[in-house]
This record gives sequence, C-alpha cells and structure tokens, in this order.
Amino acid sequence: MAKNALNVSLGELKLKNPVITASGTFGFGTELAEYFPVANLGAVTLKGITVEESLGNDLPRIAETPAGILNSIGLENPGIEKFKKNTIPEIKNLNLPLIANISGYSIKDFKYLAQKLENEEAIKALEVNVSCPNIKEGGMAFGTDSEMIYKVSKEVRKVYTGPLIVKLSPNVTDIVEMGKAAVEGGADIISLINTLLGMAIDADKQEAVLANDFGGLSGPAVKPVALRMVYQLYKKLNVPIIGMGGIMSGKDAVEFLLAGASAVGVGTATLRDPDASQKIIFEIENYLEKHNISDLNDIIGKAHQ
Amino acid sequence: MKIKSNKKIGSKIFKLELKSSKKIKGEPGQFIHLKLNSDSYDPLLRRPFSIFDLNYDENLLTIVYKVCGKGTELMTKLKKGDKIEALKNLGNGFNTNKKNNDIILIGGGMGIAPLYFLAKKVKPKNNVKVLLGASSECELEFFKTKFSKLGLEVYNATMNGSLGYKGTVIELLNNSKINKDKIDYIYGCGPTKMLKELKSLVTSQKISTEVSLEERMGCGVGVCLSCTVKTINGNMRACKEGPVFKLKEVIFDG
Repeated sequence: MAKNALNVSLGELKLKNPVITASGTFGFGTELAEYFPVANLGAVTLKGITVEESLGNDLPRIAETPAGILNSIGLENPGIEKFKKNTIPEIKNLNLPLIANISGYSIKDFKYLAQKLENEEAIKALEVNVSCPNIKEGGMAFGTDSEMIYKVSKEVRKVYTGPLIVKLSPNVTDIVEMGKAAVEGGADIISLINTLLGMAIDADKQEAVLANDFGGLSGPAVKPVALRMVYQLYKKLNVPIIGMGGIMSGKDAVEFLLAGASAVGVGTATLRDPDASQKIIFEIENYLEKHNISDLNDIIGKAHQ
Repeated sequence: MKIKSNKKIGSKIFKLELKSSKKIKGEPGQFIHLKLNSDSYDPLLRRPFSIFDLNYDENLLTIVYKVCGKGTELMTKLKKGDKIEALKNLGNGFNTNKKNNDIILIGGGMGIAPLYFLAKKVKPKNNVKVLLGASSECELEFFKTKFSKLGLEVYNATMNGSLGYKGTVIELLNNSKINKDKIDYIYGCGPTKMLKELKSLVTSQKISTEVSLEERMGCGVGVCLSCTVKTINGNMRACKEGPVFKLKEVIFDG
C-alpha cells in the first residue's frame, strides 16, 4: 500500500492517518508512551483545560453499563497557567499534531483560553468543548443552545487563527442546527459526538451509582447515535468532520468515514486497551488492502451515494 | 497469561493463579488489570486486582478475588489453560525497605489480599504481626491459614464473632494486648471506613503508616481520572501515583 494511503486533510490540519485520540481518554499524550509509539497516531487531543485548576467531581466518577461507560470526571485539570508552564514543555516534542481542548463556564472563559493558546507552537488546533455534560454551568448548557454555540465559536474565532474545532453534544433535538451555528460562528471543523447524558442506579443500594447522579455515556452503546449524527452533518455542512462515539475497531472507524467523517476520535477503547488507537490504524490499513482501496479519502461519505 | 488454577477458597472468594511465559515484574501493593473478555463489550472495562503472591522463579502470579458483580462472576468460569490478557506491574507499591522494625499488617475484607505478598517480603528483616478482619470466618479462614504458615503472629476479628475478636479489625488493634508504643510502622489495606478509623488511630499514636486504597478504576493506566484520591499534595491517581499512599497524606471526605 502507498505510504500516504491514510493521509487525510481537515482543512489546514493535515494528518498522516485519520486516528485521533479523544479528549479525556489520553491524558496529555505522554502517559501511554510505554504501550505504543504515540507518534504513530494521526493526532492527540489533550485532556480538557479550564481557566482555573479543577479538582473534578466526587467519586464514584465512573460506572459501567452494558457495552458502555458512564463518567462524571468533572474536567479535573491543572488550569491553563500550569498547563502552559508545566505540560506544554513536556509534550512539545511528541512529534505529532497536538489538539488542545478547552472548556469554559462563560464565553469570556473560552475566549481567554483561546487567546492563551493562540501563540503556542506545540498546539496545532483548538477543540472547543461546548458539550461537557459534567459541569453545572457552561459545558452542555452551551452545546444545546445554537445561539450560544454561534457566540462561543465567533468569539473564539476572533482570537484564534489556527484550525478551530467545535465539539458538539448529542443531547439535542436537531444536531444540524448546532453544526450550522458552529460553522457560521467560524468553526473550521466539527467533532462529534461528546457523551450522551445518562444515569446508572444500583438496585441493591437503591441509589445512583455516580456521586454526581448523572454522567456521560460512551462506548459501543452510543455508536449508532454517533454515526447517524455524523451522517446528518455531512449531508448539510461543508466542513470536515471528526467522528467519534464507541469506535473500538478499524471496522467501526471505517463506518464513520463512510458516514462522512474525515477523521475519527478513539476514546473509550483506550480505557479498555491502552494501545487501541494504534490497533485501529492497523485495522484501517487492512481494510483498505482487503478492499483494494489506494486512498482512504475515496471512502469518506461513501455511504451517502 | 495462562490460567493455572481457579479455586473457590471461601464464601464467594476465589484464588486465581496466572502463569506467564515471560518474567513477571511486580512488587507488593502493585496491581494487574485483567481483560475479562475479548469477544464482547460487556463488561467493557478491565478489572484491577492486587497481587496476592508472586513467584518470580516460576513466573506465577496469584490473585484472590471476591465475586461481587458481573466481572468477577465471569472470572469464576475461567479454567486451567484459558488465556487472559493482563496489564502488569501497575501503580506504586509498598515501601519494602524497612529493617529491624516492629511492623503491623492490618487488612479488612479483600484488602487483606496485597498484604500476604508484602508479609513475605518484609518478614525476614522485621518483627511482623498481622491483624485480619472480615465479616465472618468463612471469609477469613484462607487468609488466616496462609499468614500462620509464614510463622507470623495472626490476630483475627470477625463482625459476627465466628472467629477471633467480635468487631472490626481496628477495634481489635485498639483492644488487643499489642503495645502501640512499640509499633514502628503499619501497612494497611481495606475499605475506606476502616482506613479512616486507622488514620485517627495512627495520628494520635504518631505511627508512620502506608495504605493501599481501593478505588473504582477505569483505565488503570492514568488517563481517565476516575480513581482520583485527594491528598495534602493535591489530587493523585490511585492507579498511577497509588494505590499505596502515606496515610497521613490522604484526605478522606466527611
């Protein structure tokens, strides 16, 4: 197979292959170095950053459900200052594109974070998380209101000149409306889906499993929802899409590409197998060989024909 | 790894022996993360287990588990010769460099499991006493026998009084004839409630103590932040900086 068979372009953001780690499932890119060469990935999306340090939610923060996981981590992170001072020097030589993920409690927060990252050479793109279900203000409250998505995207666009990704929440009635709002605000790329708001209850203890009661559902259980939303957005939008939601194998990844994604995010799979994202790259390669496809781009959106 | 044996050793408690073809690294207090199924996504996550025993020469690692959900229920079906995927050598274990110390090992419930491997390591150079607690004799019998065979002084507590002292293992420590002033070091593992009580005891007695925490984990390798532990030095990950911490540094809620 040609060396560049897996190359994809998300506008200005060029990747050697379409596999990106999803935010919050790959730390800051260095933690899993002992399991596989991280530089083999298309890109890494870093753990979400907020303005101030966040200690996250109370425990338990994770609950297993059939073919899925509910989490309510609550954006535990060191805050932008420590991230810039301590984390960036550690990760700038990882030798692959790094995508920073930012979360805010107000439009001002998002703008501030984007400004802080505008001149960070190590950061090749910015993912705006308007869809975290685990924080009380901001987060998903933004992601379920198209007017807010538009405003956040527009304000961030004013101060950030690199590739701008807006990550959408699936907890909406009309995903197309949300995608359009992000693009009108200035998003170059749409990523989706964030987690689906859910709950687990312990029948014996007769109480919620998570300390926070609700959490975000991810894993194979959400894949059909994610695929449908990627498919809908591909039809209506003219920007590249990063598709994610329950991708556990190369075959799953290919399904997202067929639905219209130009790249894929691997998240929950990494929590099961630290090297899942690398395996998925190999499996996509095998798929192309098996189907005699010389350029991955030939299958993007093919399920629409 | 390959299953060498999987035996029921008490009420809902099993001992699983895992054999590797390669050298196994691992220290007391560290854990392994087992993938229980490769052919389905239910359960989706791995399960973490402390090392009960590790024979470096035979590349044989033993864990002891209690059936308490879907994952451990599945494990009871593992049989000799079955293969299982394991992430090994995870987390930071106990400090085993103590010498000439009067040491107490105190374990509650399945928290006893990592203390056996630890006992084997610290016993040759220290004076070690063991305090074990569980709900009833059938949960304690196996452990009691194993520790006794090492030639250690073993004190037992059960909630129903079927073996040894009737009450918690912390009450046992408080009420036993063990001279607290003579204890140099304590290693503990057990439920959060027990460790909280242990903390107030060792704080008043000023005894250096390290404990292994039992937190619900996701990835086991430090990326998901599900098993965060509050400490005086900020948030730590039970799976990465832990699961063993200095007890005085752990902040318990409530």
